[in-house]
Amino acid sequence: MKRNTSAAIGLAAVAAMALTACSGGGDDDSTGGGATEAAGPVTLTVSGWSLKTTPEFQTLADAFHAKDPNVTIELKEYDPAQYTTLITADLAAGTAPDIVTQKEVKNVSVFQTGGQLMDVSDVVSKLSKDVNGTSSYEIDGKYYGVPYRQDSWMLFYNKDLFDKAGVAYPDGSWTWDDYAQAARDLTTGLKAAGSDALGTYQHSWQSTLQGFASAQTPDADILSGDFEYFAPYYDRVLKLVADGAQVDQGTITTNTLTYQAQFGKQKAAMMPMGSWYVATLIAQAKSGDADTFSWGFAPAPQLDKSTTGTDKTPVTFGDPTAFAINANIDKDKVAAAKEFLAFAASEEAGQALAKIGITPATTTDAVAQTYFAVDGAPTDDLSKFAWTTHKTNPENPTSSKTAATQTILNDMHTAIMTGSTPVDQAIKDAQDRFKSEVGS
Amino acid sequence: MATVVTGDRIHAPGVAPRRSRPGRRLALRNTLIGWTFILPNFVGFALLTLVPVVTLFYMSFTSWNVFGTAPWVGLDNYTRLLSDKSFHTALLNTLYYAVVHIPVTLVASLALALWLNRKMRGVAFFRTVAFFPYITSIVAIAVVWNMLFSPKYGPINQFLGLLGVENGPGWTTSATWSMPAVLIVGTWREMGYYMLLFLAGLQTVPAELHEAARVDGAGPWQRFWNVTIPCLRPTTFFVTVMLTIGSFKVFDLILVMTNGGPGQSTLVLSQYIFQKGFGEFQFGYASAISVVLFLICILVTIFQFLWNKRREA
Repeated sequence: MKRNTSAAIGLAAVAAMALTACSGGGDDDSTGGGATEAAGPVTLTVSGWSLKTTPEFQTLADAFHAKDPNVTIELKEYDPAQYTTLITADLAAGTAPDIVTQKEVKNVSVFQTGGQLMDVSDVVSKLSKDVNGTSSYEIDGKYYGVPYRQDSWMLFYNKDLFDKAGVAYPDGSWTWDDYAQAARDLTTGLKAAGSDALGTYQHSWQSTLQGFASAQTPDADILSGDFEYFAPYYDRVLKLVADGAQVDQGTITTNTLTYQAQFGKQKAAMMPMGSWYVATLIAQAKSGDADTFSWGFAPAPQLDKSTTGTDKTPVTFGDPTAFAINANIDKDKVAAAKEFLAFAASEEAGQALAKIGITPATTTDAVAQTYFAVDGAPTDDLSKFAWTTHKTNPENPTSSKTAATQTILNDMHTAIMTGSTPVDQAIKDAQDRFKSEVGS
Repeated sequence: MATVVTGDRIHAPGVAPRRSRPGRRLALRNTLIGWTFILPNFVGFALLTLVPVVTLFYMSFTSWNVFGTAPWVGLDNYTRLLSDKSFHTALLNTLYYAVVHIPVTLVASLALALWLNRKMRGVAFFRTVAFFPYITSIVAIAVVWNMLFSPKYGPINQFLGLLGVENGPGWTTSATWSMPAVLIVGTWREMGYYMLLFLAGLQTVPAELHEAARVDGAGPWQRFWNVTIPCLRPTTFFVTVMLTIGSFKVFDLILVMTNGGPGQSTLVLSQYIFQKGFGEFQFGYASAISVVLFLICILVTIFQFLWNKRREA
């Protein structure tokens, strides 16, 4: 019986074992300032995930090795779904790679306060101004990561379905209300044309809605604990569901709908999604997993007219992905590691990433040219404008409170989107929880 | 004093106050051999269970966040639990799950065992079918059941429609119906396993008792209540204890089926521990919740043991 009762807390217990028994010292940041030039050949280990389907790591490793044959990059593969847990365990055990890829911004402060990341402010200070997303790695005036890719959310649209429904393509002037009206018009037009495709598809993630609301609403901040600004965004999408222009949340979750199939198989004429989907759609169209059709992307719809039009800078959201240096790295490798971080954010690396359809942190005109030269990429001017011109606000503020806040907001999201709780009540519940669980 | 070392004395060496030198050597050798046999299991138990559990108790008094030191915060984590509404929600949901799941699964698995304990054609097939859900991947189960529960297109609501229920429940997309949906799947998945235990128990019921009862004129129902149920008491007790512990620490099924939602309608304690620990790196606080879950499990189990002992007496 004792074994059974012990098993009752098995989850936490085994976790505690895994993470405590082998806890290595993480506070020592003694290597931070002592960068020395590597004398001989250096091998740097870098964490990555799904290496076969995420070619960016190998691309950067090869490009850097070609530039500096003295340094070899060795990739260490992790399960993408368990990346944070696994890399945390490795860091705590002192077995993490030299360069720790920061998959999620919301965890940066945890690693930093735990003394696991090296201060790389000297690398950031020398970067070109074209590098986006560096502020997500700034804590108390110091930088702990260098972004190499910066995805941002846009509006993908299927030109064939727009033509079929007789609705004009987006022109960069859309607010969310214009977008909602277009979705309704598309649904009606497509139905009349004998198609069962819907006007739009907004995936079930909280980001799909909350990311835009937080980025576009003036002075909005999830860490303020005031979530009233989400209300109009929720009202709009719930109306779209009620009007039949968008699949309801229940159907998405119970039928495990994927956004790739919804847009790629032409079940929806529009879809707000991150720029990473460009490479996926091109690849899936080639492999047959997606239909072949004419498509493009427009700037994300805006809160109001003040940021619409191709003469303005539309506001959207997205979190960067960065490389950080393990604070426990061998001193002899620090110089090479910093060199790799600087390279990954450079225009040269940007070109290499753009060639494989990745949106790099550096989006100069030359990088854009490379990106749109990819076979299968859209070539229209609005797509180019959407990709190159936008203000991308981070979805996750760099704070120790972010993870707990996002948990609360996710609960709020599922409660509202399933129709379990009215919008106002769910927002009030979330605000109350924020006060008691996160605090101001 | 006899110098013969019996098997009993090897297990309890203290009872033999004096032994000759060869006797002591033999006792020592046998003790060492005994320890050697249990050592591999003990080392595994100590490393994977004992040390983590002891560490867990210590961690619950700290604000440890994985890295670096674990600052001692005394009872802060426990006082925080008192005002943590999410913890209260998780605790109530866990009790909801346990209070319904334990009796329903107990009755369902016993009924299944009684039905499949008869001599009929294809009994082995039906036993296998009943056990199958228990060994099937939990993720596959969750995906398929979620589709069956789909409010608009799912076969369950379509069937209810045929019975005249026009607006079927929202099941996993409804705050009211998500827990019943999880309970249905949980019971369906586990009753095959407990059925096997009951089947084993039924083989120990002496046929003579049934025969004697029949001769005395007892009907099937009387035989069930007065012969089968009393003879099954050790099995029923074991199943109840296992079910209780399993219900209080339910985790994987809910994680893949509803992820605690919609809102917090299916958030249970194990998931809350996971959320606070691995999602938010509050391992000290997560440890405190684990200790509470441990105490609940152990108190309920002790109560069940005492209850069983009283009935035996």
